[in-house]
Amino acid sequence: MLGILDLLGTIGGNVLSLPGILGLALGMMTRNWIVAAILGGLVGVFETVVFAGFRFTDIGSFDLAIAVLVGVLAGSLGCAIRHKGATA
Amino acid sequence: MSDPNEKPKGGLIRRLWDGFWSPVAAFSVGFIAIGGFLGGVLFWGAFNWSMELTNTEEFCTGCHTMETNLGEYRETIHYNNHSGVRAICSDCHVPHEWQHKVKAKIIAVKDVYHEIVGTISTPEKYEEHRLAMASLVWKKMKASDSRECRNCHNFEYMDFTIQETRAASEHQRAIDENMTCIDCHQGIAHALPPDYLEEYKRVTDELQANASPESQKTDDVAAVRSYLGNLSN
Repeated sequence: MLGILDLLGTIGGNVLSLPGILGLALGMMTRNWIVAAILGGLVGVFETVVFAGFRFTDIGSFDLAIAVLVGVLAGSLGCAIRHKGATA
Repeated sequence: MSDPNEKPKGGLIRRLWDGFWSPVAAFSVGFIAIGGFLGGVLFWGAFNWSMELTNTEEFCTGCHTMETNLGEYRETIHYNNHSGVRAICSDCHVPHEWQHKVKAKIIAVKDVYHEIVGTISTPEKYEEHRLAMASLVWKKMKASDSRECRNCHNFEYMDFTIQETRAASEHQRAIDENMTCIDCHQGIAHALPPDYLEEYKRVTDELQANASPESQKTDDVAAVRSYLGNLSN
């Protein structure tokens, strides 16, 4: 039970944190889907490292994977918004 | 006469959607940017305010099922003490760090579900689930090195010379043996279920089996050890 809640909580935490917000913003800065996904993923890595206090031994692979996944999705969503919303 | 080039307008949702994605010709970029910034500030302020509202004791104990543990907590030193400092529910159960806090808030949705279905709605049901509920909290605290306890308590800030002899000796043992607060202080704010020691041992054994040797060590303990090492030199 806690496993699923743990997963949902981690996803929610990342959506409302740097990967979700900054990933989306960076994704909105490009029309290239790959670049947007990479930028989002990098934000996920960056956030995990920052929240682990730059101690690489404290980085959990589960947290890192979720952060990168959320970052990639947010970046892609940002890119989709750019495609839909920018007229020029 | 209707314009033959005019497209059908569609329903309200369709028109709102099209309007939302239409270019803004009437406003400058600066206006949109400043408006977006102000909107963001307002949204974030409201979001954070709401989040903090869910950290209040009134909110936590607003549900009927929280009455039992509220009564137990009110008998403890975390409620009334000589120093006049009070730790409320969220101080022990909600992390301060953003990412852990949001996670805790999302996980807490299960409490609403159990309030609705009445999982612990009677004293009998509460007692039936007490060990399982306590076990979940112990597991979280043990895994996080009692992170929420350490928001207020820290081995580094303790003056063992003014502690009771037994407390000082046990805290010294905790440092030496790399223990964490919850290893000894189960039931510090709520009544303990029968067989709690066996359950706590099961929880710690399970965590130890899953954890890597690196993650067992905490910075605090490492810092205290280093500090004590410097003193002895």
